[in-house]
Amino acid sequence: MNFSTRIMVVDDEEGICEALQAWFVRDGYQVQTALSAVEALKAAENSPADIYLVDIKMPGMDGIEFLSRLKELQPNSIVVMMTAHGTVQTAVEAMKRGATDYFCKPFDPDELSLFMERLLANKALREENSALKELLSERYEGFADVFIAHSDSMRAIVAKIEEVAPSSAPILITGETGVGKDMVAKAIHFRSERFCGPFLAVNCGSLSESLLESELFGHERGAFTGAIKARRGRLEMADNGTLFLDEVGEISSKMQVSLLRALEEKSFLRLGGSQPISSDFRLISATHRDLPSLIKENQFRDDFYYRINVITIDVPPLRERLEDIPVLADHFLKRICQETGKSLEGFTQRALNLLAAYNWPGNIRELRNVVERAVVIAKGRMIGAEELTFLNPRSDAGPIGAKTLRELEIDQIKAALESCNRNIVKASRRLGIDRSTLMRKMKRYQLDR
Amino acid sequence: MKHKGHGTTEESHINVIPIGDVDVLAVSVVAANLQSLMGLNAVSLPLHPDPDYAYLPLRSQYAAGAIIKELESINKGARFNLGIVQGDLCTPILKFVFGESQLGGKAAVISLYRLRDKDSSRMYLRAAKIGLHETGHLLGIGHCRARDCLMTFVSSVEKLDSLPPRFCSACKYEISRSIKHLFG
Repeated sequence: MNFSTRIMVVDDEEGICEALQAWFVRDGYQVQTALSAVEALKAAENSPADIYLVDIKMPGMDGIEFLSRLKELQPNSIVVMMTAHGTVQTAVEAMKRGATDYFCKPFDPDELSLFMERLLANKALREENSALKELLSERYEGFADVFIAHSDSMRAIVAKIEEVAPSSAPILITGETGVGKDMVAKAIHFRSERFCGPFLAVNCGSLSESLLESELFGHERGAFTGAIKARRGRLEMADNGTLFLDEVGEISSKMQVSLLRALEEKSFLRLGGSQPISSDFRLISATHRDLPSLIKENQFRDDFYYRINVITIDVPPLRERLEDIPVLADHFLKRICQETGKSLEGFTQRALNLLAAYNWPGNIRELRNVVERAVVIAKGRMIGAEELTFLNPRSDAGPIGAKTLRELEIDQIKAALESCNRNIVKASRRLGIDRSTLMRKMKRYQLDR
Repeated sequence: MKHKGHGTTEESHINVIPIGDVDVLAVSVVAANLQSLMGLNAVSLPLHPDPDYAYLPLRSQYAAGAIIKELESINKGARFNLGIVQGDLCTPILKFVFGESQLGGKAAVISLYRLRDKDSSRMYLRAAKIGLHETGHLLGIGHCRARDCLMTFVSSVEKLDSLPPRFCSACKYEISRSIKHLFG
């Protein structure tokens, strides 16, 4: 039904208003009428309608002037001009000024019915359009976290993204956990010509080899136990878009060969399939690992490396761009205050010193979590050092300390695990990293659960 | 107790009123269908004069609104008045209408003009469907989205013919609820 659609009929002839009102009410619309343009404008200010049906010829302010005034008030309103035979030219003029459509009075009942269906489809399209715009702006909002920067290194990265986005060359993004590699990948996608296509991300480190193979290439029905129906893979779904392989350094050699073949031949087979499938996608890969070292250790294939690494973007860790910390912290503070309804003005100098002294193993993600935690416990109007006591400054042994990065990381993980009663999920949140990343690090450093 | 034929009683729910030179059998068929499908106590009144007051020379049609106003003023004991005319009906916005009514009001009118057919029984059935539809509006029922419901909007006799003479379950429920509310 049309209960949510509000229609306003503006006509100086009472009979027309009544007839249209009767018609639309029977169809379930909410209808209001106005016998003059002035009355209609007043009503529109107080209670705007979705669709306005406006007579062109009215004493005083005519329909064309009403249209212009209404468009100033409500630029997105749907306005339909009504005219008698002989004034179609004026109706066309109204269309040029922003009217959605016009019709000649009187009309065939069928025409009115079809006309309303068309208008409603138009309205639905507009609403869908604005919802999509909102969705897009939400997506872009996340980018700000990464790209709010004063440092030269981050400015260079933004410039590089603009430069490489239009091409289709594969890109490798490197950098520590939490620096925002996924946001860089999304920014490239949305600035490329493929922005209307899908952006599909696969975390290669979180899936077993067989699952990853099925996830990437898809499978036919009966390809393996449990494959009860055919399923498209990410490579296939990324057609005309971007495929983002996160944690690409974790891919097995066998999978690297399969992917290399798919990238070179631009076609592949689903698991258990015999029909080659073509897909046109741009590949963006990311890793926190040192791939050249892995190649030397024969843990990563050099041919695959050169295939995915046509362009490299290295995102620096937060501790190497200290000048970005205050602006990022301030940005997160504003966002979190907005989300939580809290009112905080900023950070004290001592708090900023503490933030600058910290090592940030979890980078931007960790910084956001730290600010969020500080906002929750903050009592005054500013976030002070007392709200950040849970941070262990790295300055305990000089700027970087006598310890190596590996040792510092082990210390941080141990401390987080201890403080969270060895709860992996809580500890990963505390460190500002994914649960899978923490598990991997624990395995690498042989830390017990 | 239901009444049929000329005359009114305190118990009649709806008066079916022929206006001008109208096929009397059509009036009876409409009244019978209102009784059988809606359970309304329908009474046929004697012929009313031609609706000259509603004639629009420029359009060579009758203004449905003017006839409804006239029907509204008739007080013959019933809650509703349904007029039937032979001439073509129109409204200020529509080139023609098969019928017109006040949603939740007192009066409605239907025209036999565009329902005519070589087979007169087909015309009677069409008139009955339009009569039921407009009476549904009098009971406060709006247009229905179900394609096979009498309360759906129809603008051609072809569509009208394809429509079965019944209401969908939702409209049937609303109609009986409204009748119960009005007449107990």
